[in-house]
Amino acid sequence: MATIGHNNLNAKLVLLGDMGAGKSSVVLRFVKGQFLEFQESTIGAAFFSQTLAVNDATVKFEIWDTAGQERYHSLAPMYYRGAAAAIIVYDITTQESFSRAKKWVQELQKQGNPNMVMALAGNKADLEEKRVVLAEEARTYAEENGLFFMETSAKTAKNVNEIFYEIAKKLPRAQAPQNPAGMVLVDRQGDAARASSCCS
Amino acid sequence: MYATQSKRNMSFEYQAQIINYRPSLHTRRANLTVKFQDIYGFSVEGNVDDVNVLNEVREKVREQGRVWWALEASKGANWYLHTHVSSTLKASLKLSALANAITLKRLIRKGIPPVLRPKIWFALSGAAKKKSTVPESYYDDLIKATEGKATAATKQIDHDLPRTFPGHPWLDTSEGHAALRRVLVGYSFRDSYVGYCQGLNYVAALLLLVMKTEEDAFWMLAVLLEDVLVSDCYSNNLSGCHVEQRVFQDLLTQKYPRIAAHLEALEFDVSLVATEWFLCLFSKSLPSETTMRVWDVLFYEGAKVLFHVALAIFKMKEDELLLSHHVGDVINILQKTTHHMFDPDDLLTVAFDKIGSMTTNTISKQRKKQEPAVMKELDQRFRRLNSLKDAVGQ
Ligand SMILES: Nc1nc2c(ncn2[C@@H]2O[C@H](COP(=O)(O)OP(=O)(O)OP(=O)(O)O)[C@@H](O)[C@H]2O)c(=O)[nH]1
Ligand SMILES: [Mg+2]
Repeated sequence: MATIGHNNLNAKLVLLGDMGAGKSSVVLRFVKGQFLEFQESTIGAAFFSQTLAVNDATVKFEIWDTAGQERYHSLAPMYYRGAAAAIIVYDITTQESFSRAKKWVQELQKQGNPNMVMALAGNKADLEEKRVVLAEEARTYAEENGLFFMETSAKTAKNVNEIFYEIAKKLPRAQAPQNPAGMVLVDRQGDAARASSCCS
Repeated sequence: MYATQSKRNMSFEYQAQIINYRPSLHTRRANLTVKFQDIYGFSVEGNVDDVNVLNEVREKVREQGRVWWALEASKGANWYLHTHVSSTLKASLKLSALANAITLKRLIRKGIPPVLRPKIWFALSGAAKKKSTVPESYYDDLIKATEGKATAATKQIDHDLPRTFPGHPWLDTSEGHAALRRVLVGYSFRDSYVGYCQGLNYVAALLLLVMKTEEDAFWMLAVLLEDVLVSDCYSNNLSGCHVEQRVFQDLLTQKYPRIAAHLEALEFDVSLVATEWFLCLFSKSLPSETTMRVWDVLFYEGAKVLFHVALAIFKMKEDELLLSHHVGDVINILQKTTHHMFDPDDLLTVAFDKIGSMTTNTISKQRKKQEPAVMKELDQRFRRLNSLKDAVGQ
């Protein structure tokens, strides 16, 4: 299936956000197409990989789904260090999770890889009747901070593939040629094993 | 209300779950993945070989039970309590105490029969002693005092109840949730500095399954956090856990320099996998009976056991790990390995016979060595984050 000149891109992606915002559920939906009404709470972080085809390239995401409880915060730098992309997830039914998301954005702007593609996901969009965070408010915030924004639902699958796809599309352009932090563009014909070394 | 509930035995009886699994011819031929329930009621996915291993393990558990019964018959029911060699004992008694201690250590590494676990864990971990220093009604009073109170911890606990081993036939029922809630909330009030840390939900859930009474599970949790594990493992910024990760990294470098060097070249940090191992005491990674076997030794020999087991997991996969080229591969290898460790002896033999001895003393020294660096790093990060807040004007 690999065509000559077909590009293969590895990208480390981290999910951050409040406990219970739905990080693991979003990943599970993306990677396995499943949704669990009760998803086990994540301890430390969980690792997944998933490949997406975008235009003339394939992007292999190496996904770190982190634990949301505040005290796990001290572990986070290990996961976002060298990440090419981040999805910051909040739950549209709690204001608290939105505040927490903003804190993550600040931290990444300050400490993360400067070329990082950042997405803000307002998750649980299926729970419209319980909504407290307005989409407009989040969109404005995202625009002001250079993130792209989508409302997602891991439950109904709304915008889940889309958000990863959108990130994948933005990746090559976000890459500054002189500083390929967080990802390596390689040729598929190359040594597959070496090709997958990434994440400075 | 709570008094009667907490004293009552848990209605979940794992003995009832023991079924021999005979996969159909079809599955045998196709070597498909089969789903079944293990002796603690957890659903497991494995292939036919795994099922066979589990059946063998059940047989070994029964044999081990016979050994323990025979010892009780010859040495008396509570023989394992007489293993302390005190100077006031007569020489002949000292010798028998010493002999008991040696027998006991060996025996525990081979596994405590599930029916004896509640009694033996409670006695040997120090939980019984801890409980004996407070009034009889301590637990009931504590639970009564917490009734109707809402704190940051209770909110998080409520959030996690249905997310703790979802689908388990007892834990995931209203009765299971209520028992787990009382234990976790009770503990969060006993030590408000620790409060509630995610991870404790899994530990407490397994303790409930084993101990049968909620009150005993509570005391096991207390002794674990207060005496067995490194301090501050779960509190505040998990500093104790960070220390353990560094000690573990050092031990890996010492014992298995080739593995350590290879992983370092891949920029694989052991804490990527070991954080969950240490915080959940392997309960999210290993099959239930294997986890219980690790805990058997943990409660008798102390927290160094976690290092033995973690090192053993890496050692068992040495060849594969040395061939891996990527962080993701390393994680997949380790995850697959731990999920399929259905025979506890495979793991524990390596953990205790191949790693070489480590004393609690040397581990303590290593912790002391790592502490200042961990504290400094956590402190620096804290300051940086605060300056970040100031800069943004919040
Ligand atoms: N209705 C609805 N529920 C969701 C959605 N996404 C997640 N949930 C539920 O919200 C709960 C928490 O989801 P998780 O995916 O475990 O959240 P998390 O952010 O990974 O949480 P931590 O691991 O504790 O940090 C689970 O019970 C999910 O079933 C969604 O889009 N819609
Ligand atoms: Mg999660």
